[in-house]
Amino acid sequence: MHIAATDRTPAIDLTLTPLKLVMAGESFPEDVSAFYGEVITSINQLVTNVQGKLEVEMAFVYINSSSIKAMYRIFEGIDAYRQAGNEVQVVWKAEEDDDIMQELGEDFKDRFQSLNFTVEQHG
Amino acid sequence: MDLSQAILLRNSLRNNHVIMAYNGTVSDDLMVTLADLLKERLVANDDVKRSKLIFAVFMEGVQNLIWHGKEHEENMGMILITEHNKEITIMCGNRIEKDKTQGLKDRLAQIEGADKDTIRQMYRDGMSHASEHEGPGSGLGLLEIARRATQPISYTFVDVDEHSVDFIMAATI
Repeated sequence: MHIAATDRTPAIDLTLTPLKLVMAGESFPEDVSAFYGEVITSINQLVTNVQGKLEVEMAFVYINSSSIKAMYRIFEGIDAYRQAGNEVQVVWKAEEDDDIMQELGEDFKDRFQSLNFTVEQHG
Repeated sequence: MDLSQAILLRNSLRNNHVIMAYNGTVSDDLMVTLADLLKERLVANDDVKRSKLIFAVFMEGVQNLIWHGKEHEENMGMILITEHNKEITIMCGNRIEKDKTQGLKDRLAQIEGADKDTIRQMYRDGMSHASEHEGPGSGLGLLEIARRATQPISYTFVDVDEHSVDFIMAATI
């Protein structure tokens, strides 16, 4: 799956070899459920279709509050994949000095405490 | 409106340090357009950290107007931004149905009395329930605004008639 970034939606790449989900950019789509619906479905299908280590990399610039509910469901899908016995590694990247994205990463980490979840800042 | 009244209005905007004022239909396109203008101004005048706080508060405030404006036949909202003594205040107001005010009042009262750590915990708890929230929002917008504002949020409700209430809230960064 490859979705190109726009001014208000992130780039999303989901590859099977290697098994990796990368999301990066802005997230304030006009219709959150329309934009994220397919992504949530794809993540939820991983558990029945593949096995092995899943790497997740997220590097957002801004996420509006209504995107949070889609992001939460994506993390639920990722966590379900872990619960099926697979290794999962999440790296949440915030830009240097971006306290908002740093804190949001910490908030998701707090909500999904069983996930191997790293929040880091980069320049 | 005659021209002398236009002058009075302009003086009032100037005396109140208004840098952006809008009254009318609030659409998604309008939000993006105003956000771009605001961003340009912020990047020129502010540090990046503060700009992000201001941008986040603006977006959440205006999204509230878009979603809750749709519930009312007059889909009208007001956006005012003032800048004074290096503080930016974002005010968003709309007319809402009277029977929908109590839930909002309860929520605001909860947020109003909470410190930053409590607001963050309320936000985290809200994240877990965001997907159950009806409509396009997540139930996190007010918490997001309160979290990013550097002072407690303020708000007021003014009765219009037996069915409607004017609601306005302000957040300062």
